[in-house]
This record gives sequence, C-alpha cells and structure tokens, in this order.
Amino acid sequence: MDKNNNGIARFLKKISKPFIRFYNRFMDGSLGTKMSHFVMGSGNVYHGQIIKGLIYFTIQAGYALFMITCPKVNNTPLGYKAFINLITLGTEEGDIFTPADNSMLMLLFGVVTIGITLMYLFAYNSNIKSSYKADQDIKNYGKVTSFKQDAKEMLGNRFYITMLTPAALGAVVFTLLPTIFMILISFTNYDKEHQAGLKLFDWVGFNNFTAFFTNPTGEIAARFLPVLAWTLIWAFFATFLNYYGGILLALLINRKGLKGKKIFRAIFVLTIAIPQFVSLLAMRNLIGEYGPMQKILMDIGILSEPMSFLANATNVWTARIAIILINLWVGIPYSMLLASGAIMNIPESLYEAARIDGAKKFTILRKITMPYIVFITTPYLISSFVGNITSFNIIYLLTNGNPKVTGGYIAGGTDLLVTWLYKLTIDEQQYNLGAVIGILTFLITSIVTLVTYRRSKSYKEEDAFQ
Amino acid sequence: MRKKKAFRSLALLMALCMIVASFVGCSPKETPLTIWVGVESVDFYTAKMAEYVENYKVKTGKAFPYLISVQGVDTGSAAAKVLDDLDAGADIFTIAHDNLGKLTAGASAIAPIRSEALLAQINADNPETFLNVIDMSVQGTKYTFGVPYIAQSLVLMYNKKYLTEEDVKTWEGILAVAKKNNKQSVSLMGADGFNNSFLTLAINESTGKMPAIIYEGGETDNCLFTSDETVAIMQWGQRFFTDKNGGKMPTDSGWEIELRDEVSLSLIGGAWKFNAAKAALGDNLGIAVLPSFTLTAEDVKGTNIKAGTVYRSGSFTDCKVFVMKKGSNKAEYLEDILLFLSSKEVQEQSFIECANLPAYKNAATEFSSMQADNLETVLAAKQLEMFNYGIPQPFGFSTTLNFYYYSKGAPDLIREILENKESLFGTTDAIRTQLKSIENIWKTGER
Repeated sequence: MDKNNNGIARFLKKISKPFIRFYNRFMDGSLGTKMSHFVMGSGNVYHGQIIKGLIYFTIQAGYALFMITCPKVNNTPLGYKAFINLITLGTEEGDIFTPADNSMLMLLFGVVTIGITLMYLFAYNSNIKSSYKADQDIKNYGKVTSFKQDAKEMLGNRFYITMLTPAALGAVVFTLLPTIFMILISFTNYDKEHQAGLKLFDWVGFNNFTAFFTNPTGEIAARFLPVLAWTLIWAFFATFLNYYGGILLALLINRKGLKGKKIFRAIFVLTIAIPQFVSLLAMRNLIGEYGPMQKILMDIGILSEPMSFLANATNVWTARIAIILINLWVGIPYSMLLASGAIMNIPESLYEAARIDGAKKFTILRKITMPYIVFITTPYLISSFVGNITSFNIIYLLTNGNPKVTGGYIAGGTDLLVTWLYKLTIDEQQYNLGAVIGILTFLITSIVTLVTYRRSKSYKEEDAFQ
Repeated sequence: MRKKKAFRSLALLMALCMIVASFVGCSPKETPLTIWVGVESVDFYTAKMAEYVENYKVKTGKAFPYLISVQGVDTGSAAAKVLDDLDAGADIFTIAHDNLGKLTAGASAIAPIRSEALLAQINADNPETFLNVIDMSVQGTKYTFGVPYIAQSLVLMYNKKYLTEEDVKTWEGILAVAKKNNKQSVSLMGADGFNNSFLTLAINESTGKMPAIIYEGGETDNCLFTSDETVAIMQWGQRFFTDKNGGKMPTDSGWEIELRDEVSLSLIGGAWKFNAAKAALGDNLGIAVLPSFTLTAEDVKGTNIKAGTVYRSGSFTDCKVFVMKKGSNKAEYLEDILLFLSSKEVQEQSFIECANLPAYKNAATEFSSMQADNLETVLAAKQLEMFNYGIPQPFGFSTTLNFYYYSKGAPDLIREILENKESLFGTTDAIRTQLKSIENIWKTGER
C-alpha cells in the first residue's frame, strides 16, 4: 500500500515539477522575465538581446495572428476554429448548391493546429527560460550573452541541437502528425458513405475496433482473423526460410576448397541487382498456365493439364505455398550476403581451438558458426520479419491478394493485412477500417520488434563478440 | 534606465506588429478554367477549346475571361481524385457514368445541369439507356448531372485464321471450330460481373427482352435473377464452360498469351483491349458483335422454356460523361462549354482523331467517318451494334450495394454455377438457390 502511495506521490511530483519551475521563474525573475510570460521576447529585449527577443516575439505574433484570423485552406479554417471543428467535425451538411463542411480537412487541420500550438508552447517555455537565464547571467557575470555568442554556441557545444532540430521537425510533420491523424480517423465513420465534403462524418468511439472482433454481422470480424493468421504465417515462413536458406547457401559458398566463390556469389547477387518487380512478374509468367515451366512439367508427365498456381489457383494454399517459394528467389540472396559477411569474420582461432579439442564439423557449426551468425544477424532477422508483415509488392504483383474467397470482405486468400488495407482504402474508400488495420499492424510489428529484440543475445550481450 | 529599456521594447514590438500586419490580406491568384479528359484525348480537346475561345470572341465580341487548361487524367480514377480533394478537382471533368453515384452521395460533389439548351441537346442526342443513368437523386430531388460524350461496350475479338464471319455469329459455330482444332472457344478477361455479362445480360432474340432485371427504374428492389429463362441460360453457360473446348475462365498467364499461343480462338473484350488483342493476333484479328446461342433440351431441363430458344449475348453498354464541379467560380461558363464539347460534330472529330466511340445515338448512320472499312471503324460499329443488346451498368446509384456485389462474392457465385465443380450445381434447384443469393445481394447487400 505504502509502495503504491509512494509511486503516486513520485508521479505527481514529477508532473508538477515543470509547473513549479514555471511559477518560480515568474516569482524570482526580473521585470523582463515577468513580462516575457505575457509578451514573448520582451525579457530578452529588456536585457538588450534584441534579435533573440524579436524572434520570440515574431513567433508569438505569428501564432496569435494564425489563431485569430483563422486562415482558410480549401474553405476550411485553421486557427482557433480548427479546435472547435475538431470536436464537431463540421456542422454544415450542404445541399445540391452549397458544399458540406469537409470533415476530413477539419480533422486534419485540428491535428495540425494542435501541433502548431504544441510547438508554440515549446517556444513559449523556451522564451521564459531564455529570459530567466539572462537574469542569472547578469546576477552571476554582470552581462548577458550576445546573439552572436548564442549563435556560436549553437554551432559549437550545442551543435547537436542545431542538427537534430530539422530532423525532429521532419519526424513531427511527416511521421507523428500523419500517425495521429490516422489514429483519429479510426475513431470516426469516414467511409465511402461519408465522403469528405459530401457528407459529414462523426466520432464513433471504438465501433471500428469492435467491428474487427465482435461485429454482429461478422463480416469484417470473420475475415480479420484469417487474414491476420495468414499474415503471421507468411511472415514466419518468408523470414525463416529465407534466413536459413541464405545461411545454408553462404556456408556452401564459403566452404574451404570451393573454387570460383566470387562467381557463385555474383550469380546470386544478380537477383538483387534486377528490380524486384521484374523478377516477380517474370516468375508469374514462368509458372503461368501457359508459361514455359508448365509446358516442361506437362512434357515430362508431372502435370496432365495446365494448373493455376497463383491468382486463379483452385486451392488457396497452392497460391500461398507458391508465393512463399517465389519469395525465396528474391529473398535468399540478401541473407546469403549477410551470412557470408558474418562467416568471413569468424576468427580462425576459434575453429582451430575447437579442432584441437576434437570437435567434429557439425559441433563446430552448431557451437561456433551458427551462434556467431545468429548473434550478428538477429537485428536483420527482426527487421526482416517486420518487413514481411508489411510486405506489399510480392502479394500485389503475384496474386493481387487472390484467389478470391467467399465472404472475403474484398480480402482474397493471399491478402496480407497491408494489402487488405490498400484495397479497403484505395479501392473502397473505407478509410476508418483501413486506419484500424494500420494501427493493429503497427501494434503487432512494434510488439514483435520490442519483445524479440530485447530477448535476443544481440541486445543482452552487446559486447560479447567484440 | 529601466524606463528606457521598457520603451525600447515597446517601440520594437509595435514596429514588428506593423510589419506582420502588412503581410495580411494578400489576394489569391486567378486560376485557369480546368478541364480533365482522358490522357489519350488531351491534344484533341486542347485544340477544341482553342476553337471554342475563338468562337466565343466572335459570338460575344469579348475575349474569354479565363485561361483554359486541359489536363489528362485516368478516367477510372478521376472521381476518386475529386473525392479525395474536392477543391483540387477540375471545373469540368470526365468520369464513367457509374461513378455518378459516388459523386452525388450526400450533398453531391458535382453541380446539376440547369441550362435548357444543354438539357435539350442531351435528350435529343443520346440513347434512352444513357438518359436513364445520368439522372441522380440528391436529398430527394432528381437532377441531370452527366453529359454523355463517349460510349463503350463489349465485343468479340477473334482469330480469323480459324473463325469465319459465319462461325462467329453463334457460340455453337465457334465451339464447333474449337472442337475441330482442339482449342478453346473463348477467353474471358476476368470473372467479374462485367465480364460475365455476356451471359447474365443475354437477350431473348424473339421477344427482345432481357430476363435479368437489375435496378430497373433506379429501384433497389426491382431486381430479378431467378426466372426460368435465367436458369436455362445458366445451364447453357454451364455446358459451355465445362466443355473442354468451350469457354475459358481467366488464368494466371492472361488472355493475351492464350490468344497469341492460339489456346483460345476468341476474346470477349472492350475497345480498351483492342491494341493488346491486335498485338496478340496481328492481321488475324477480327471483330464481331457478341454471338448468339441456342438452348438445347438439356439446357431447358427443369424450366418452362422451350428448347431452341435463341439468345443474344448481352453486354454492359457504358458511357463516359462530362460533369461540372460544384461551387466552381466559373460555373456560368461551364454549361456552354459542355454544349460545345458534347455536340455531335465534336464527337465525330473525337472519333476520327482519338478513336473515341461516340455516345451520339445516330453515329453509326449519320457519321460519314463511320462508314470506312478499317478495323478501328469496324470496332466502333460493332460496339454501337452491341448497344441493341445491353444496358449501362446500373450500380452507380448505390455505392454500398455495388460494394457488396463484390465483397459478398456475387461474381464468384456465378462462376461456381458455370464451373459446376463436383456437380454441385447439377440441378435447377441448386442453380436457382445460388441465383437467389445474387438477387438478394443486389437488393439488400446480404445473401
């Protein structure tokens, strides 16, 4: 009980810290610092840091102007109205002559305005800190730093901040905001019946999520689990078959005494040099009903008549197995290269010691070679698994998710979550359901990545093979 | 000192306020009047709009007030593009008629046509079937939204090396040649509702009626797919597709290879596949209307239809239409432009220069350019002939039901009947039950 109370107290203390600091700065600060709580930059100007002060003031004036004037983009306002619209998602239903409010833009602009506001608050806090620092500098050294000195500092000791700022901003604008937008869409009924600008859409809570598990008509729920199961099966086989296939190939190529190692390696690397979609389409034609492969199989009597292995296969598992096998062709060379690199770096002394101790070839492989390769390539293995969960090209180009399955809710027998998401959003404008799949895929990939990586030797024994 | 500092701060802040304020109130630039057409027709319509601007000057004595920008788009995705960003859409754009439902859902993204001159031209120049699909209801009121200007339908593309003009008049004729040469009669481009329309929309040659009814009069409930005639047609289709020399369902290799390697003797395809078919067959490519077929005693078993009844293969006969963006600030000029672009003279020139099949109802007889003897003209003439045996895709008015048609696998239900695997559909009852599921999907979205 005490432990819990301590935990809560610590938590409260932690979150109240910035507010206490904020209060203390206001109380302890000079008139300039006090002023900078209301007018950004005034503290710096007060201390003679004119340029810095003006920069802060411009930020505040720009933000105020942005919030008050509510500039419109495509007839949808930003600024304070965007906050209101984020809650209502529009009120004007429109008619044949006047357009409806664009709920999608309202949602987007709401998120953008929140982002801008957060950045403004960050600048606001930094403006107070800057003024307070100037107070302290005067108190301690009798003078404040000039703009030139600050700039020099940003290119010197604090250069990491200069370099990280554009990257961080880019991550916020191009990754974080779209992700938040997508997450919010999953809580709306934004679909083909509620097209942006034609019909308002609204917040629907967790309805879209429950549809994937407990939908009363069972349409989506009935399809979701099979697609998820196939996605995981595909990711497992596509990853591990390629991985161990690559290692096997690397072991064969790197065998002592094998002549023309470089030539073999170059041949296998050729498949990487050819664009993947070319290889895939060539494969599709090769094994098509009237492709050369089937002609050979029929000539030697293995097949009596042409058979579909991909989009038109009569059995879903025929297509699934065919895809996994074709994927070996494009995937093995990558892991072969990685494993080759690892094998060539294993210290010869380890092998010598093992041989002196009487270890047999298989024991050496099991105790030295494999642990070494696995240790080095574990991060690749994890990223490859995650990459296969979101693998789009192979499925799209080979089968486009087909063969069709009854009650598939437009998901075919080889559709992965990501290709289903594509069909739901691009072909069918079911953005809300697509967003839920996006979130679920994100959760699966992040959990797999975190759990496996943290449990791997590569993480636990980071220095072991150095 | 403190006062001086405070004054300095205030003065600087005020100056800055004035600078910021001076940036407010910039007016947007005037944008050109934009028209989206199919990529293949950009040059043609650019030239036509230049002609229009000249005529405008002569007619009104004033220069046309806007620059005009004609841009090429993928017609299939233009509607989706507009829906993604309504304001970024062109003032006038082209869509397939069955996208009208998407664009007029809710408060509608496109403007209704109100010009009497344009409405009169639309009504005078277009076949009845097109007029039925360009009207949409928005919030309870019916409006005309689309201006038809290009038509398209399915035709038979066949290998002249094996098939004569006489053979391709009937499926039985084609099947006989296929049997003789151990080939397959026909390849399908796909097994969806569009590609199996040659069976589902077949027309009784003696009555001229189509047994299948799909959303007739725009009524959701007005669907029928379980009549004896449809059952008998499906039994004929079953016989045709289970015959080793009969119809060929789509394969991974694709119909192009099947035609090229002479696996199949013909293809049911649209004008958009003409170039690929020409590449596959070269000079052996022939074009014909979709053949007829005759029900045998075996086909009519279990129904009240007489053996020997002849049906003509049907087709979805579609049109592309021009529509106007709602809320365009150039709205007052758009209808006059459409009057010009959809006129029969421009349609004929579009046919000559871009091989666009005219939507104009008397094109086959009135257009001198359609009397030529080359393959492209034959393709156009045969497509127009198919308009006697087809209906425009009626799914446009309900995006949800259209979605369910595919998501509930209705085309696969038809395919299952035709393939009759493990003889699951060997009885009329089994076929009728399956057809009832399709009819239900049309009506309610549920099987």
